[in-house]
Amino acid sequence: MILLLTLTLLLPLLGGIINACFGNHLPKPMPVIVANGAVIGSFLACLGCLSSASGDGLRVTLFTWLSSGSFQADVGLLLDPLAAIMALMVTGVASLIHLYAAGYMQDDSDQTRFFALLNLFVFAMLTIVLADNLLLMFLGWEGVGFCSYGLIGFWYRNTENAAAGRKAFIVTRIGDLFFTVGLLWLFALFGTIGIEAINGQVAGLDPTTITIISLLLLGGACGKSAQLPLMTWLPDAMAGPTPVSALIHAATMVTAGVYLLCRMFPLVSLSPIAMGVIALVGVLTALYAATCALAQREIKRVLAYSTMSQVGYMFLAVGVGSVSAAMFHLLTHAFFKSLLFMAAGCVINLAGHENDIYLMGGMRQRSKLVAGLFMVGLLCLAGAPLTGGFFSKDLILATAFAKGDLFHQAIYVIGIVTAGITSLYSFRLGYLVFAGDFRGEELPDDLPGLMKWPLLPLALFGLFGGLLNLPHLFGGYSWLSGWLNTDTDVLHLSLNSEYLLSGTAVGVFVFGWLIAHLRYRKFVRRESGLISAFLLAGWQFDAFYDRLLIRPFRGLCRFCWQGVEVGLVDGLIEGFARTCISWGQALRKMTNGQISNYLQGFIWGLLLIMGWFLLRAVA
Amino acid sequence: MIVPMEHLLILSTILFLLGLVCVLAHRNLIMILIGVEIMLNAVGLTLVGASAFWQQIDGQIMVLFLMAMTSAEVSISLAMVVYLQRCKNSVDIRDFDEMRG
Repeated sequence: MILLLTLTLLLPLLGGIINACFGNHLPKPMPVIVANGAVIGSFLACLGCLSSASGDGLRVTLFTWLSSGSFQADVGLLLDPLAAIMALMVTGVASLIHLYAAGYMQDDSDQTRFFALLNLFVFAMLTIVLADNLLLMFLGWEGVGFCSYGLIGFWYRNTENAAAGRKAFIVTRIGDLFFTVGLLWLFALFGTIGIEAINGQVAGLDPTTITIISLLLLGGACGKSAQLPLMTWLPDAMAGPTPVSALIHAATMVTAGVYLLCRMFPLVSLSPIAMGVIALVGVLTALYAATCALAQREIKRVLAYSTMSQVGYMFLAVGVGSVSAAMFHLLTHAFFKSLLFMAAGCVINLAGHENDIYLMGGMRQRSKLVAGLFMVGLLCLAGAPLTGGFFSKDLILATAFAKGDLFHQAIYVIGIVTAGITSLYSFRLGYLVFAGDFRGEELPDDLPGLMKWPLLPLALFGLFGGLLNLPHLFGGYSWLSGWLNTDTDVLHLSLNSEYLLSGTAVGVFVFGWLIAHLRYRKFVRRESGLISAFLLAGWQFDAFYDRLLIRPFRGLCRFCWQGVEVGLVDGLIEGFARTCISWGQALRKMTNGQISNYLQGFIWGLLLIMGWFLLRAVA
Repeated sequence: MIVPMEHLLILSTILFLLGLVCVLAHRNLIMILIGVEIMLNAVGLTLVGASAFWQQIDGQIMVLFLMAMTSAEVSISLAMVVYLQRCKNSVDIRDFDEMRG
């Protein structure tokens, strides 16, 4: 068991190192086989040690990483129910995406770098998931950030891609700063950084301190998970290859923030203020991103905003105190969103590498299979009844509703409105891409089989993901909540209100569909109004941050450069040099090579000396 | 001592200044050399005068050395003047300003 757990973590690292060091010397399909083998092996190993995860979980300490005084950080793994379900999802989805990527990247000359980074990413993500202390988790946290940076800017020869990678790296770094401060504070308070040790000792802590630390952790989570106000990097991150968007920016890395909050839930849950803030951030992000998704034109940006919105729901779930609802939505979302991204990659290929949905249309005739898979993903995203997305979203909203007070009622209302918008933009996307006739230029492009088949299991998981945590209302017995030992999350609402909530959810879904059906069934080229331009630009947040932060910072930099460096430092040194030069130039004129001049100098000197002696003699 | 010391000093000062002006004002190398000779002789005259005034022979001996040295100096200087004349076909001091800054 211990060996299997270690293998789970180390196989992707091994694959990444092999590809990074020797990949270019291996014969052509070998790097791909190594990368896929490593991740699939990791998945199987994770499956193998699943049985030992229940209850208290499985612990392995590989070696002591740092030790200084009372501070000790081990490279220690902890496979408890939460980590197990997350690790299984990460390795499983990553395996399918690796297979897909093998097809997607088959003509790319830089395959080796791609797969090396992708494998390293899986390793870093598993480090986050399996770490038993916060410092190791932070190591993985930075690792996924680095791999995300490298993969967003994978086609770095295009400057825009490289800039998008940099933006993602820098914006998430702001969040990481909060996380670091929280981490160090926790160490200062408890003298340990073990996750379980901290969670076991928080009960006696001062409420204000708990609130501040929780908010710091929330800041870190917001950066990684692209929540308000650190969300601007995610839409730009779509510059990366599609498998990267599917793996990093939909299924795994962006949910790391949710995972962090679930991990530290015993700490976070002690502060009602922090919980309220988490729920508020989540629901506002969900609403914000859903409205933005309504107006986007690029297929991957629609999906990016929908990811942001769905991750907002997960934050909301944590904020209303239901870890199992958050994890439930995290799982179903990972399945259907990676499905959507990969199917979007197929659609883009079929449309002749066209990203703009206004130039698509009629993709149904190109490939029935891809269209079907994409629609499955959209139905899950929109929360069509009985799909995985329906149950998980419903559970989150019902939990918020069940809290009962005014604040949570308001959050529930925003959440349900967002659900309606979600349904609207999902079907808008579906109609624009698949209905009608093809509007772009004819560029038929064949799909390799590897780009289709990995989507099937994801579609099945997406559709039937609801079975993981089927509520009692529908004859299930909330398996996930039981597995996570969070039976308190199971709702105890009256039968009537449960029916009412489900009915409302179905109602907004149908409502969204109807509007989309009326508006987008037939493609009409509309003049883009003020509102849609505002939404297209993501509520102008980029421009706002540009004014608020980037320009003042640029101004400061320009002052330091032009004012301090060029003006003051260089000015002083160059001024001194210039003075010396001008003196030299003036003195140079005296040595004109005329001997009589020099002799004149002698004479004056002589007169001076004689005058001096005369003065002395007189005095 | 037949001549008073003051007269001697005044004469040698006048001679010295005449030589000096000759060195400074003339552009011809040979005239400058003549100026230098005059200045040297003014100094020599002072030495002889001083030697007679204090009744000591040292000053006169020094003048003899000075004469020997001067003749050597003049022969070298004139050789150099001939050389310079061959180089630039001129003995004007203004033509020899290669050492200017």
